[in-house]
Amino acid sequence: MAEIARFDRVTYTYPGAPRPALEDVSLRIDPAEVILVIGGSGSGKSTLLRCLNGLVPHFHGGVFAGRVTVDEYDTREARPHDLARRVGLVFQDPESQSVMTTVEREIAFGLENLGIQSRAITRLVEEALISLGLSHLRHATLATLSGGELQKVALAAVIATQPHLLLLDEPTSQLDPVGSEELLAAVRRLSEDTGATIVLAEHRVERCLHLATRVLYLESGRVAVDAEPQEFARWAIHAHRELLPPVARLFAQRLDGYGAAHAAADRLPMTVKDARHMLDVIEDSTPHRLPHAVVPTDGEVVLETRRLRVGYDPDIPLLDEVDLTLRRGELVALMGENGAGKSTLVRHFNGLLHPLAGTVTLLGRDVASLSVAEAARGCALLGQNPGDYFVKDTVAEEIDHTLDALGFEGQERSGKATRIVAELELAGLLARDPRELSGGERTRVALAAVACGEPALLVLDEPTRGMDPSHKVELARLLRGWTAPGRCVLLVTHDVEFAARAATRVLVLGDGGVLADGPADEVLNGSLFFSTQVNRLLRHALPGVLHEDEIGWGGTLQ
Amino acid sequence: MTPTGGGLPASSVAAGGPMGLRGAPEPVVVGRRTVRRRAPEATPRGLARLRPGVCLGFIAALGIAGLALASPVQVAVLLAVTLLSLWASGALRAAVPYLKVALYVGAFLALLNPIFSRGGLDVLWQTTLGPLTVKLTVQGIAFGVTSALRLATVTLAFALFTLVIDPDEQLGLLSRLSFRSGLVLSLAARLFPVFSRDAARLADAQRARGVELDRGRRRERAAARVPLLAALLTRSLERAVDVAASMEARAYGSGGRTRWVRRRRWTAADVLTAAAAAVAGVALVGGLATGAFAYDFFPLLDDPWAMLANGWWLALAVALAAPLVVTRPWRR
Repeated sequence: MAEIARFDRVTYTYPGAPRPALEDVSLRIDPAEVILVIGGSGSGKSTLLRCLNGLVPHFHGGVFAGRVTVDEYDTREARPHDLARRVGLVFQDPESQSVMTTVEREIAFGLENLGIQSRAITRLVEEALISLGLSHLRHATLATLSGGELQKVALAAVIATQPHLLLLDEPTSQLDPVGSEELLAAVRRLSEDTGATIVLAEHRVERCLHLATRVLYLESGRVAVDAEPQEFARWAIHAHRELLPPVARLFAQRLDGYGAAHAAADRLPMTVKDARHMLDVIEDSTPHRLPHAVVPTDGEVVLETRRLRVGYDPDIPLLDEVDLTLRRGELVALMGENGAGKSTLVRHFNGLLHPLAGTVTLLGRDVASLSVAEAARGCALLGQNPGDYFVKDTVAEEIDHTLDALGFEGQERSGKATRIVAELELAGLLARDPRELSGGERTRVALAAVACGEPALLVLDEPTRGMDPSHKVELARLLRGWTAPGRCVLLVTHDVEFAARAATRVLVLGDGGVLADGPADEVLNGSLFFSTQVNRLLRHALPGVLHEDEIGWGGTLQ
Repeated sequence: MTPTGGGLPASSVAAGGPMGLRGAPEPVVVGRRTVRRRAPEATPRGLARLRPGVCLGFIAALGIAGLALASPVQVAVLLAVTLLSLWASGALRAAVPYLKVALYVGAFLALLNPIFSRGGLDVLWQTTLGPLTVKLTVQGIAFGVTSALRLATVTLAFALFTLVIDPDEQLGLLSRLSFRSGLVLSLAARLFPVFSRDAARLADAQRARGVELDRGRRRERAAARVPLLAALLTRSLERAVDVAASMEARAYGSGGRTRWVRRRRWTAADVLTAAAAAVAGVALVGGLATGAFAYDFFPLLDDPWAMLANGWWLALAVALAAPLVVTRPWRR
């Protein structure tokens, strides 16, 4: 079968970068493959995709060695617009990839550029709208769409051009579980119906490993693993277990007791359905829930809302009658679909927004009566983009900037600075420009910048967006440590697996209010979308289990 | 766990409610469900229902009439038609910033004109400032107020263009002349709200760290925001690079570009409005050529009411008001 694309010993370095983003990459991509590209932040995933449509090297410049061919076109000679009929790329940030202002026009933009006749464009736009369920939004202005809708429009705009090779760069990183499922279902349908080749870079492996026919794992710009999913899974059991979907990790635990030979021979499930089937046929061992600690919930109240109504239009509140209490020692996950009002709600906790009605009390004082600095001393909020926080030239200056604003002086100030640097392991980064750090380091520095005043409540809005699995493990550890001295952490997140692992309590927003509030294992147990893979698998046999660390194998099913 | 307040019965959730928690242990549920629905996508109404070319023709006739006519009553009628067109198209609220600009500049004109217009005979008040004699006359006041009304009419006609015809349609119209200029306009319209949100987010990030951006004297507030400007510039450049990459990946610049024209049937409203715009154009040319629209403020005011019976004016007024009826703005 003729290949669709090929990398021959490609090494590429961005302009001014100290080391190559891709190093000696050779691979072949065949028609109808669905290739999942995974790897840590900065491992070269996006660069690999950009090589395939010619943005590397034509748009980004830099030093390019080797050869990439797509449908016989050498990308050193063919420019991105020459390849656009064959290759479509959906970028990570939907905000930054749209050009026009309305949905229909946005989809038509690429087709117009390709010189397609108006009548044919009408048909292709219509088909793209229908295939992604966007017909009702055809006249909508892009500025009014949610992140999920915008990402679907971006995908529609690309598939309208009917590319042979579809590249998706972390397309679900900003979507809620429902939006992600819908987008990936559309991708799967496209692959199955049209035979398009898909290369998908994604951190959340559990969402898409089952779609893949092949997995590429990149490490520091090199292809460390190029294998079909089962082979990759067997490699990951020993090398990087955190890369596996939770149900695969669960079964990998079972294999741990059998030795390497058994592990190498056995299959791992990639989906809940696979796992359920395997569970049915296993005879020698059964999963059981390990004893787990019950987290006390009687800490001092940090924040309280009473009959809170929030929104931007008094006639159409986003949330109404919200009564919440957050206590010291809690690690709470706030979940809900895109647009449910999660980010809006937490911006009332430090006074960035004012309620339409009701009150927010922070450490016993009405937030409305607090100055900006007073509110920030009690409640630190880290938004979705760590880059928003960087206004100084070094990490040390960023920390000083906050401590200045909060009015700390003398020993108290130096003590806080020392503690946050130690806690977030920033000693080696203090003289560095925060904008030049890697993704995980930037998150840590931004966290230090907002939290160095040691507030009682730390709110993080989508902290795992675009974060690779190893950094998530590190973040969960860090946040648990943060609550240990009696502070409270509130996570606003779509990442159910992370919430299940990190949080002790879960709040779900929806339909204009709080739909559910309780211990994580109660709220996440049995939900259709806001639930973990392990819970979906074992919810009937072991109600309340959320992740594989709570499971042991052996004995009889309890 | 923090049980606070009542509301949505836990049973309704556990029974397969919004989260589909069928058969699961009941979580503690708090809060009260309220009706929150995202506003439905606005259906175009008024002039926004028209083909963009027709709409542009009508707005052009309105704007040119605003520039060409001088009689205070005629100009007031044109302003009323413009405001009604904005209202009928659901754009009146969005036009408030335009109206404010017109009012500020118009007020300036209305105040200065009476002082420096010296041709009027009906003197209300007079004084001498050195070599300069300042006379406040009825004619000067009328001229100043009429100039302000004309400015408001033309400004709001421009508001009609920008608010009622969506930027992509504007691009379609302009691309017949210059695609690149039209694209810049479209990108500006697309990215302006994005940059505004970026700016708001950066400011909020500083407030979340305790930085006071809104207190103190103007100089202190400006100084507090200086670091934000550099960050915003960086962010804007990053976004611009991303958009450029996206455009290149979507074949922009490959040559041989076509223009998608949405196939759209001519409706009765389109035909009638196009005819009305044509009539308005003929009436304008006819009225100006025959001197029927001539109006003198000095030395004495012409009778503004006498001109209303003029045939050219009647044709123009009826033609400009017609779209308010034929587009049936009352139909949502």
